[in-house]
Amino acid sequence: MPSHDVLALPTALKLYPPIVSLDRRSQPFYPFNSPFHLRKGGRNQKVSILKAGFWESIRSGILKNNTAQVVEPPSPVEEVEELLPEEFVLVERTRPDGTVEQIIFSSGGNVDVYDLEALCDKVGWPRRPLSKLAAALRNSYIVATLHSVSKSSGEEVNGQKKLIGMARATSDHAFNATIWDVLVDPSYQGQGLGKVLIEKLIRTLLQRDIGNISLFADSKVVEFYQNLGFEPDPEGIKGMFWYPK
Amino acid sequence: MAVAAAVHHRGYLTSKFRSSSPPSPPKIAAEIRGNTTPPPPISISTNPAHVNLRHLRELYAICNHSCHRFPTVDAAGRVEPVDPAKLHTAVSHSSVVVSAFTKPEFVTTQSSTPSNFIGVGGDWISRVAAPVTPENGRLIGFGRAVSDMGFTASIHDVMVHPALQGRGIGQMIVQRITRMLTSRDIYDIAALCNDDERLFFRECGFGYDVLGSTTMTYTRSASKNEPMISAGRRLLLVPPARGLTK
Repeated sequence: MPSHDVLALPTALKLYPPIVSLDRRSQPFYPFNSPFHLRKGGRNQKVSILKAGFWESIRSGILKNNTAQVVEPPSPVEEVEELLPEEFVLVERTRPDGTVEQIIFSSGGNVDVYDLEALCDKVGWPRRPLSKLAAALRNSYIVATLHSVSKSSGEEVNGQKKLIGMARATSDHAFNATIWDVLVDPSYQGQGLGKVLIEKLIRTLLQRDIGNISLFADSKVVEFYQNLGFEPDPEGIKGMFWYPK
Repeated sequence: MAVAAAVHHRGYLTSKFRSSSPPSPPKIAAEIRGNTTPPPPISISTNPAHVNLRHLRELYAICNHSCHRFPTVDAAGRVEPVDPAKLHTAVSHSSVVVSAFTKPEFVTTQSSTPSNFIGVGGDWISRVAAPVTPENGRLIGFGRAVSDMGFTASIHDVMVHPALQGRGIGQMIVQRITRMLTSRDIYDIAALCNDDERLFFRECGFGYDVLGSTTMTYTRSASKNEPMISAGRRLLLVPPARGLTK
């Protein structure tokens, strides 16, 4: 997907093949002979089946293309088919000491969880289990990152690479997306980097015809998102959260 | 102006964290509505293979449910039919998919008469000997959730056939979704609601955010020559690709 097209997009980018007729009631939802299935290389089987009950596991064991094991949605490698990762230099500047710093945007989701944990610490967020963090990144539709790469002038080799920003969005790949976990290193804030991250997420989502983009903003950042085109409770639509009894 | 660390990540809310201030939803929802008819025999499946796409589209139509947050509504108040390819994509990328089935005879245009549900008598034999299953039943309810399988989830498209609403089936569906998620240690479960849906979700045990976050949706519209996509009746502006101005 070119990163610089500013064309009008009158119709959605229909990248899915036409749906195969699924008229027979007993036919499993993901028929093996569907081109959709083949294109995704088995991904259709990988919808999570969380903690299937005993009878369900027996029943689903009988259905050929479905198992009762807990499986995860597709890994980022398979996602490449649907969402081409992008990476480009956002800004390049020379510091007074002669070192060159590049800020690189990437939507490939190549985030080291330890780097992310360190960044979350910097912005003051409570610690979260790393395994869950890794799962959350893996199962997000888009993970956009900003890295700072510094090198001394004259050096060919990449210098140190530091994670300075991240934003991610979950999605059903068709209608809805929710943006979570937007953060920028405090020493890099105020430069419009957060804005770039969010605009890129929105752009990518809209280009995929995913039109319901929401997020849950802390009161301190409501204005930030308003400036980016988000509206609080539009037409009275509010988020509600589950409370265990 | 330095922007703070942006959206509250909604982090990692354990049940311990949450037990401090839950709102208490009304427990006897059906009685409050004045409708005490229990639901017909229902089979609930969380197996995505049990979802027949055509029947699901019909259910969306009969429930007049749109996948767009701001749907186009015609003069008769009906939303446009859901795009089949997109529905397939959405369901196949939902972490939790719940379908509710009942025997076709229970789905009538008028509410079923109470005589169908007399516990002792002819009915119990058919319940035991020929229980409803996803294979022999008719799809009358649905719900799905999208999750990152780590911390958060959002629930979408919960619907029940109009002839069977008000009998607790919707609550059963939501309860199954939340149980599936909490069994994977995901407690941060969100549902975006309009006014009608709000009452329903309250009865399912949902409330406003204890952390006080503001729900925000992208609504910036495009004018004529700007790049846009349509989302229901809204035309959303696609932000231009650009570098930093500095």
